[in-house]
Amino acid sequence: MSIGRMLLSSWSPSRHRLREPGTVLSAIVLLTVVVAGLVAPLLGYEPGLDVDPSRISEGPSVSALMGTDHLGRSVGWRLAHACRAFTLPGLLAAITALVLGVPAGAVAGWRTGLLASTVRVLLDIVSAVPRLVLVLLVCTIFGPGFVTLALAAGLAYAPTLADSIRVRVRDLRLAGHVDAWTTHGLSTPRILWLHLVALGCGRLVIRRLLELFAFVLVLETTLSYIGGFGVPEPTPSWGNMLAFDWGHDGHLVPLVAPAVALWATLAATARVASVFAECET
Amino acid sequence: MTTRHATQLGQAALRICGRWLTTVVGVAALLLLLVEMAPGDAIDLLPDGETLRAELERRWHLGRPLPERLLLWLLSALGGDLGTSWTIRPGAPVSEVLRGPALASLLRLLAALMTSAGVALALAWRSAGHASWLRRPVHVLSLAPVFLLAHLAVAGLNASAWSLMEAGWIDRPAWFALPTEPSVLRSFLAVVLLALGSTALSGLVTDLEDAIARLRHAPFVLAARGRGEPVDPMILRNLVPVAAALLADRLAFFVGGLVILEKVLLLGGAGSLLWRASLERDVALVLAIGVGTGLVVATGRLASDALRAYADPRLTTAPTR
Repeated sequence: MSIGRMLLSSWSPSRHRLREPGTVLSAIVLLTVVVAGLVAPLLGYEPGLDVDPSRISEGPSVSALMGTDHLGRSVGWRLAHACRAFTLPGLLAAITALVLGVPAGAVAGWRTGLLASTVRVLLDIVSAVPRLVLVLLVCTIFGPGFVTLALAAGLAYAPTLADSIRVRVRDLRLAGHVDAWTTHGLSTPRILWLHLVALGCGRLVIRRLLELFAFVLVLETTLSYIGGFGVPEPTPSWGNMLAFDWGHDGHLVPLVAPAVALWATLAATARVASVFAECET
Repeated sequence: MTTRHATQLGQAALRICGRWLTTVVGVAALLLLLVEMAPGDAIDLLPDGETLRAELERRWHLGRPLPERLLLWLLSALGGDLGTSWTIRPGAPVSEVLRGPALASLLRLLAALMTSAGVALALAWRSAGHASWLRRPVHVLSLAPVFLLAHLAVAGLNASAWSLMEAGWIDRPAWFALPTEPSVLRSFLAVVLLALGSTALSGLVTDLEDAIARLRHAPFVLAARGRGEPVDPMILRNLVPVAAALLADRLAFFVGGLVILEKVLLLGGAGSLLWRASLERDVALVLAIGVGTGLVVATGRLASDALRAYADPRLTTAPTR
């Protein structure tokens, strides 16, 4: 079997779970949000230039499927465009967490002795600082921004990813497969990085990255809701839509839509993550 | 207690205290390192830093290497000196600025931990080992971020109170539309929402269900049941270290959630102070609160480790040879 096929089969969830309606719906919601985040800016929507006093607080119509807010802006467009606020930081945070967490976890799980202990102590230290506090400190020092937020989120999540990989690699190492692979003449890097990490931890890493995506989503919407470090108006974010539209008269869609979108995306992410979690063992 | 047993307990205590000390010192080092990585130096972050540069360089030991500054900061912190506030209350000792808010936050955190543990234990006790209709609603509710729950709770309460006032059924409540006044209701809301939201409850229920199901089928419980002894107290006693470990694992999430809730519900506390200090770039205060949160998490882990070491029969009833 080629390495590509081995990776594909060890990373994919079981087929019967993929056919469940809840899983299909969750995957569609998640994909829609990610695609909207990547594609929406290309469709010519300009935040700040969409204020239309003649269309204030209109109900749903053909030209604005979810109606307009108290400034006459299309709620649907803003909802879609807001996906950008957490999709790109989510991707950058995932890369940061992978770069920091995977090698640390793999080394700590594979080796014993001083090196493994040192990595474990470092993971212990970083995980003792609440993620939000770490992100706030980083934003205080380096200033708020998309890249700062993403890097801080990745750094804050790396210990969780690393610890999961450490435990998994250690369990696989102690299960006896390593002796068999060594006897077959496989080199140590191949055993560690291909068999234990890439093939043995694939689903675990995907699950953890989905959880990281949910974390970045919650972090971004929270910071934008509270203000100061998140996405400022008029650029849309589900967080600032919730905060900014509150207290204005009009129909309920601008108030309810971001909350429902946030809740649905978190539920979808948790569902898809649980599918991978069940296939890990 | 035999000498061997005492030695084992002593070794366990040393290991646990060593882990605590390493974590606390490590958190301080990590946060100081982050401050060190700021573009320019710490004085550049101050609005009028340049006029005070010479004085601040001397006071903050900026010319010295990082390990030496870490040691000096730790020694000062041990003596109760966490530096002085830069922008929130310029020149005031951080320990003085922080004392009252930190105590209020700590009480809210403990109340939320107890509430979450109590509710999770009640739910898990009922549903462990079999299907329960409660599992899904708890999971769905628990998925919501705490800021969203707080937003919905405040909006719902204000809308309901407004409707009741308009109908003439109630007078204006003390907490209605008075966001800056202290309110017991908002503190209560913070504790309840922190206990329920951001997957805290759902995760605890799931893990406790597993632990209860495992304990109910453990050989010593089955043997006690065979002897006709009551097993529930035995299961609960053995569940205490497990619950403590689960809470300790989630302590950092609770602290993060509290920071958000204090800001959203306009409560005075270390969390809302952290937001203000971050926005106003009061690095000394942010650093102290950051190390303080690390201290709380490390102490929670210490308590959980100590409880487990005390309750684990393999340690406390180890045979002597």
